[in-house]
Amino acid sequence: MSYRAPVNDIRFVLNELAGLSEVCALPGNEDTNPELVDAILEEAAKFAEGVLAPINRNGDLHGNTVDNGVVTTAPGFRDAYHQFRDAGWVGMRGPVEYGGQGMPALVTMAVEELWCAANLSFSLCPLLTLGATEALHHHASDELKSIYLPKMISGEWPGTMNLTEPQAGSDLAQVRSKAVPNPTGDGSYLISGQKIFITWGEHDMADNIVHLVLARLPDAPAGVKGISLFVVPKFLVNADGSLGARNDVRCVSLEHKLGIHGSPTCVMSYGDNGNAVGYLVGEANRGLSYMFTMMNHARLGVGVEGMAISERSYQQAVAYARDRVQSRALGSDDASSAAIIKHPDVRRMLMTMRSQIEAQRALTYLTGAALDKAARHPDAAEKQKAQALVNFLIPIVKGWNTEQANEITSLGVQIHGGMGFIEETGAAQHYRDARITSIYEGTTGIQALDLIGRKLASEKGTTAKVLLTEVAATVNKLKAAGDLAVIGDALEAAQEATIKTVDYLLATFDSNPRAAAVGSVPFLKQMGILLGGWQLGRAALIARQKLADGEGDAAFFESKISVARFFAAHQLPQVAALAQTIRFGAESALEIGEELL
Amino acid sequence: MTILVIAEHDNTTIKSGTFNTIGAAQKIGGDIHVLVAGQGCGAAAEAAAKIAGVSKVLLADAAHLAHQLAENITPVVVELARGYSHVLAPATTFGKNFLPRVAALLDVAQISDIVAVESADTFVRPIYAGNVLATVKSADAIKVITVRTTAFEAAAAGGSAAVEAVAAGADTGTASFIGQELTKSDRPELAAAKIVVSGGRALGSAEQFKAVIEPLADKLSAAVGASRAAVDAGYAPNDYQVGQTGKIVAPQLYVAVGISGAIQHLAGMKDSKVIVAINKDEEAPIFQVADYGLVGDLFSVVPELMSELSK
Amino acid sequence: MKALVAVKRVVDYNVKVRVKADGSDVDIGNVKMSMNPFDEIAVEEAVRLKEAGKVSEIVVVSLGVKQCEETLRTAMAMGADRGILVETEAPLQPLAVAKLLKAVVDKEQPQLVILGKQAIDDDANQTGQMLAALLGWPQGTFASKVVVADSKVDVTREIDGGLETVALKLPAIVTTDLRLNEPRYVKLPNIMAAKKKPLDKTTPADLGVDPAPRLTVLKVAEPAKRSAGVKVASVQELVAKLKNEAKVL
Repeated sequence: MSYRAPVNDIRFVLNELAGLSEVCALPGNEDTNPELVDAILEEAAKFAEGVLAPINRNGDLHGNTVDNGVVTTAPGFRDAYHQFRDAGWVGMRGPVEYGGQGMPALVTMAVEELWCAANLSFSLCPLLTLGATEALHHHASDELKSIYLPKMISGEWPGTMNLTEPQAGSDLAQVRSKAVPNPTGDGSYLISGQKIFITWGEHDMADNIVHLVLARLPDAPAGVKGISLFVVPKFLVNADGSLGARNDVRCVSLEHKLGIHGSPTCVMSYGDNGNAVGYLVGEANRGLSYMFTMMNHARLGVGVEGMAISERSYQQAVAYARDRVQSRALGSDDASSAAIIKHPDVRRMLMTMRSQIEAQRALTYLTGAALDKAARHPDAAEKQKAQALVNFLIPIVKGWNTEQANEITSLGVQIHGGMGFIEETGAAQHYRDARITSIYEGTTGIQALDLIGRKLASEKGTTAKVLLTEVAATVNKLKAAGDLAVIGDALEAAQEATIKTVDYLLATFDSNPRAAAVGSVPFLKQMGILLGGWQLGRAALIARQKLADGEGDAAFFESKISVARFFAAHQLPQVAALAQTIRFGAESALEIGEELL
Repeated sequence: MTILVIAEHDNTTIKSGTFNTIGAAQKIGGDIHVLVAGQGCGAAAEAAAKIAGVSKVLLADAAHLAHQLAENITPVVVELARGYSHVLAPATTFGKNFLPRVAALLDVAQISDIVAVESADTFVRPIYAGNVLATVKSADAIKVITVRTTAFEAAAAGGSAAVEAVAAGADTGTASFIGQELTKSDRPELAAAKIVVSGGRALGSAEQFKAVIEPLADKLSAAVGASRAAVDAGYAPNDYQVGQTGKIVAPQLYVAVGISGAIQHLAGMKDSKVIVAINKDEEAPIFQVADYGLVGDLFSVVPELMSELSK
Repeated sequence: MKALVAVKRVVDYNVKVRVKADGSDVDIGNVKMSMNPFDEIAVEEAVRLKEAGKVSEIVVVSLGVKQCEETLRTAMAMGADRGILVETEAPLQPLAVAKLLKAVVDKEQPQLVILGKQAIDDDANQTGQMLAALLGWPQGTFASKVVVADSKVDVTREIDGGLETVALKLPAIVTTDLRLNEPRYVKLPNIMAAKKKPLDKTTPADLGVDPAPRLTVLKVAEPAKRSAGVKVASVQELVAKLKNEAKVL
């Protein structure tokens, strides 16, 4: 099934909703401008459509195989990675001083959407490399940086993140892997332990792989404050930069998974022969905090994945619905069978998919722009405001996009009817691939706790209230905009319901944290729907203006308005229902005896 | 109004597209002259003289015209063209190669690949890969046209025109012929073939697939395809598979033999120009997309088809 | 030696064009536009010749509206050294394009001009041959292989039924067929570098060419939809229909 990058909508969101030109005006972004971004998008679209999308199914069908520690990737992946690397895409956001292009997060995000939609499994390799690159760039010594960053940014040496152990999943305080000073006294360490769920931990696409590994030093304090971060390369690097001996790290097995079969999920064993050489990144015992600085990007990245896989599923469902002829159209005089896209419930399903995807894209890119402002805005107050916005939005984008990805890709299967349940059709792959996104980089439950605790209660709801005020401003504009008033009314009702839940959660979080926690995921969804509806409302206002000015593609702008109206009628009303659940649903969840569950 | 048709030939015989081009000239109306340019091409000129509706054959015979290089044939045609209202050539790689040169030197537009004649100055031609038909009118004194040969009836035999030698011009000396390599009789590549014959699970075995499908394909100079079911059953190799997960094909003619028409298969061939389905199940979905359906047992229909094609 | 490549901005090959309701033209407002795929092959060939040391400079030329600059930038991101836009809002037909290109060639004096064999919008397949005629140069059309040696170029051409190879004295024109090469994916750093490459603008008036069209489009229409299929009763009927009605045999 082919994939067409939704460049038109991406361009609209970048320019009209997320403020690309403001981002380009930030110090350090002078070389970027909307025309350049257009050219980048066009070329990235060609690559995603022409190279990555065609091998997506290979990844699903063939997966990866491991034989005595050697992992062989699915047909086409190795060549595709080499093309990807040679085209310079790995270092798009990488620091310029180490050979990267230093592009803004917003622009990189738009391109990452295309990689994820075209081939989610593949996209994880460069995404993790980027995360590892940033960890080193922010925290490692200049020496480590000069050895590893140029090769990682060029894509020659992909990177991995080794956090999880069998007993340490969401709770990394349980990490047991060890690091001891190397008896050679060269300042390196010897690492030992087993890591699981290591995405792209071993493969045949590159000469070397750079693992970032969490482990404990001998004298480390217990818990989260005793974990350090190490660089452990697959091959040691000689003084002249050439590759040296094979390090004592190996892939001992691959997981059998529900989805993303194209991405090897490795069990990695360090120091089986007592000789896994690693290098300390930054200071001892700060490893977890270093990881957390990467967490925002990584979580936002997974939010992009959820939205992207939904888009892929939607495209496939629309194509099928246009082609598949079944039953006569309701209310038509024509007795012959019609394409199922004419059937009202199929349209409802397609619009449910489409409207949520467009809402998510807008909210996600808005967060990307805030990330750039938080990093580079010259005004300290603006910078801080942007950071608060990033902090608040990230769990929402991560949690909402990925929870809905499960529902949206499920609708993608549903629209195919029985054919959707047949693997050969390809709709099922997206459904299976999407499933991991609401789990890794922190489950939705973890995101929701982060949202109501660190992001809402700890700042007494400041950012939430700023956002609610902005939503109210959009409500007023919509209500004054003729036929868009219906969107304004729905958004207003949702906004008012949300004010009540925010007040409730702020009042409950300290006094009854368990009750607040029951409402945390519903609150996360509520915020997603409200803010997504807000963005679609803004989009509708802009589209109406463009239509009035006779500017641009009228059909596109009319569809933006239809999408916003649909979302207002089908999604926004859920906010009030979720508010009820949040405010009155805690007791029933907690009262039943555990033994009765 | 006199029309000059440039013949495509191999020095002894006239290529079939020329007959259709003359057919197009007849639609325009008027006297039709044919130019045969080559080396030792007298026989071809004689052949051209026997085509109905041709009133004169012009023969340019010279060594430098041997391979009908565009650089050398163009001056011959330009010299003659000024006496004509229309200059036509088939829209084959022969005609497409030199005729635009002629048009440019006459300072007129060329009308490419016409599929219909509306009047002496108005023609229909496909654009956007045939998704749109444009009706265009020429304001030039001489209409220079290439003709889509499949769109016009071939002119019949039965003429007796005079053959007249014309000046063959000089060798421009800027281009020379090095060699030619004509495609062997091997089957064409599946994705690019003009005709595809595909077999399904109804063939029953790899042996029968080979014995029934392949001779028919060879008869039609077609590529061989297969349904997913036939490939899964081991009747045909993987790279024969036509469908959503196999090859997507859009030939001029697609012949589906013993294929029921699963959705994935249809997705791989539904853009074919003409679809023929042969299946014994009258209700098979393949008949919903087929232009011509023949209900019957493929093991008797295909041999019958082979002998009918041989006639 | 210098190579010149002509590139056209056309409706993207994935877009299914629609005819305007009044049948006056196709509706290409707001549809995705891209470089003509045959022209991409032309740029790729020039870049390969440069990489092989046969060509020292690649000049890429486009003709048409301002947005053709994007097409030129794409060509420069692929490896062309500089661009020339002949800017005009007027619709251009092949003869006018050939005359404009001749004027550019007279100025630039390239030894080799590479063009796509046809544009996927008007499907005319004329410009390269017309340019060759106006310049009095030899041509290698529908090229599937191009070998440049000192003062000549050998071009293998895709002809009906096979391949033909011709030797052309330089300067010469080459038009590309699909199998000549597979255009590269542009590298990200090169997209950025392309923004800084020189792009000159000129107009038909500057070049002294009257681009007035010679053909008038009276109307456009979509071809008749596929007629509903029929069942045939016999093999004889089937073959007769394939020969006489469908005309595919």
